Amino acid sequence: MSFISRKFGGQAGLGLLALLSLLLLALAIGAGVGTGELPIPLDTTYFAITNRLGWTAVPLDRIHESVIWDYRLSRALVAACCGAGLALCGAILQSLLRNPLAEPYVLGVSAGASTGAVSIIVLGLGAGTVTLSAGAFAGSLAAFLFVVLLASGARGGADRTILAGVAASQLFNALTSYIVSTSANAQQARDVMFWLLGSFGGVRWPEFQLVLVMVILGFAICLYYARALDAFAFGDDAASSLGISVSRVRVILFAVTAMMTATIVSMVGSIGFVGLVVPHAARFIVGPLHMRLLPACVAVGAIFMVLADIVSRVILPQQVLPIGVVTALIGVPFFSVILYRAKRAA
Amino acid sequence: MLAPLLSGRTRNFVALGLVSLGLMSAPAFAAPTSYPLTLDNCGVEVTFDKAPERAVALGQNSAEIMLLLGLEDRMVGTAFWPSKVLPELAEANEKVKLLTVESPSLEAILAERPDFVAAQLPILLGPDSKVAKREDLSNLDIGNYLSPGVCGTRQDTGDAYGSRESLWNMDLLYQEIDELSQIFDVADRGQEVIAQFKAREAALRARVAGSDTDPSFVFWFSSPSPQDDAYLGGKNGASGFIADLLGGHNAITTEAEWPTVSWEGIVATNPTVIVIASLDRDRWELDKPEAKRAFLTSDPVVSQLEAVKQGHIAVMDGQAMNPTIRTIYGAEQLADQLEAFGLIK
Repeated sequence: MSFISRKFGGQAGLGLLALLSLLLLALAIGAGVGTGELPIPLDTTYFAITNRLGWTAVPLDRIHESVIWDYRLSRALVAACCGAGLALCGAILQSLLRNPLAEPYVLGVSAGASTGAVSIIVLGLGAGTVTLSAGAFAGSLAAFLFVVLLASGARGGADRTILAGVAASQLFNALTSYIVSTSANAQQARDVMFWLLGSFGGVRWPEFQLVLVMVILGFAICLYYARALDAFAFGDDAASSLGISVSRVRVILFAVTAMMTATIVSMVGSIGFVGLVVPHAARFIVGPLHMRLLPACVAVGAIFMVLADIVSRVILPQQVLPIGVVTALIGVPFFSVILYRAKRAA
Repeated sequence: MLAPLLSGRTRNFVALGLVSLGLMSAPAFAAPTSYPLTLDNCGVEVTFDKAPERAVALGQNSAEIMLLLGLEDRMVGTAFWPSKVLPELAEANEKVKLLTVESPSLEAILAERPDFVAAQLPILLGPDSKVAKREDLSNLDIGNYLSPGVCGTRQDTGDAYGSRESLWNMDLLYQEIDELSQIFDVADRGQEVIAQFKAREAALRARVAGSDTDPSFVFWFSSPSPQDDAYLGGKNGASGFIADLLGGHNAITTEAEWPTVSWEGIVATNPTVIVIASLDRDRWELDKPEAKRAFLTSDPVVSQLEAVKQGHIAVMDGQAMNPTIRTIYGAEQLADQLEAFGLIK
């Protein structure tokens, strides 16, 4: 029995929860926009946003207005989308693969992204016309296709897919190491590391538009298959006996998660922990049914990532801590509490 | 290169001529900048309506060039320092706020309200940078400038990154000094700095012109541990330039900018001199020159090298092995020690 149905029960409780999470997300984004190294008065922060939305025309300091709108707001919104997307992918993969350790990078997408990025930074593929993100995206999809081919060649199945993912990760990590050790100099190796660690530093509005579209589309498709995902929990045979086209649903959902993860990885690098742990936390709050679980993952993932990004920006003066460090550092204690309480409740 | 084609005496004469040219042009008179000034900077057209008054330098080399130009009163921040500032610039550098020795955040830069940002590397300013993109600054009318030495981060452009097909030289640095001096309307000072560097380059060539020893060098930057392969300065990088300037050559012949070579491979090249880098960072034990020297003299194989037995181990500032203004300082540092070894007459 999950926490929320015990406390509230029924539709009203869920509606309340949805409202509460929207409110929390808005508060988190507000905090993200209001926090930073440049001290900006609260009213300036407010008017900077309303000015750009065309509601007001208050004369403001240009640097302040630009920092709020172009830098902090776009960054907080991208963080929310990435958190939501990664948590969603984690939940889907955990169900499809029937493995609580599955996470968005299990299909080799992150390793493929680094190979793509390294090919651009070190080998100079595309001769400057291809951006780092585009290269990483191409690498992600290459790794994913490799997994699909390998897994379907081995006649599908959850375990086979995980093994294929492991093989793809090893292969692409080896390719990355090969390129770095044969062609890179110290500075490039440093650039590659810096890029792989993950950061929201480079994102602006165009990135938000892209990731928003990807996450909304992905969310809609996953919700459409929510009942099928519930059936997967009982195994492929049980699912097909319920009239679900197992292999079709699996391929569609793998493709959707791969696209989402590839978009996120190529934009902000690989950010660990969120995709693995948020689905478990969400399951504890709303239970295992996907119609509730998926929205909960989106909400918790988004709020968590926005908060983690705030911490990464303020913890070191004048510089930014890699976001993956923060997600693990504040995520692990948070998750320990959930695990502990879940054990007591059980 | 001209020098190898000429006989020793002619080379000497040419070098002396260059020195006197350099000295003669020291009090240079360059035209004041007429604004708006438009430059092609790494394929981007940058325009300046007036000389910047609040400049931020991202990267040690950019900061040191600006300090050499005497711009400390017009600088409001610096960041990204792999090593300590040049001693003669330390006092001027005190006046400028240090944002961080690592990569700064965009907000930390903007908080200084700059009107100009100069960057040494594309990871600090460029389309793939997590610090700042050119549009971030241009949209706020903040002038920006990327070091011409690293315009392409791609291998095919061959500068500062990846392997290089021909020997690096100071030309792109001189271009950077020249352009920055124009931007700040201190072209006189810029020409003076360039002339001084050229004179120092020529003086070094003149100093070694008399000896035909053609020493071979191994430039050891650092290693994670004695068992690991060593990071060396490659043939065509700044290290190769220093070797050439001092009348010798890099014993390592790979074109990679920073090859990693096993000690067996190093022993096989049997260099005349082993140059060990002194680094300010403290990442590995072997960053320290004393640790490097201790390894060279105690390792059973490496200690049998002729260079080690003769004590031809020279210490050089590690930053000189990066293509920066510090390269010349490192070459001078090395020349003094070669003289002490009797390798320069």
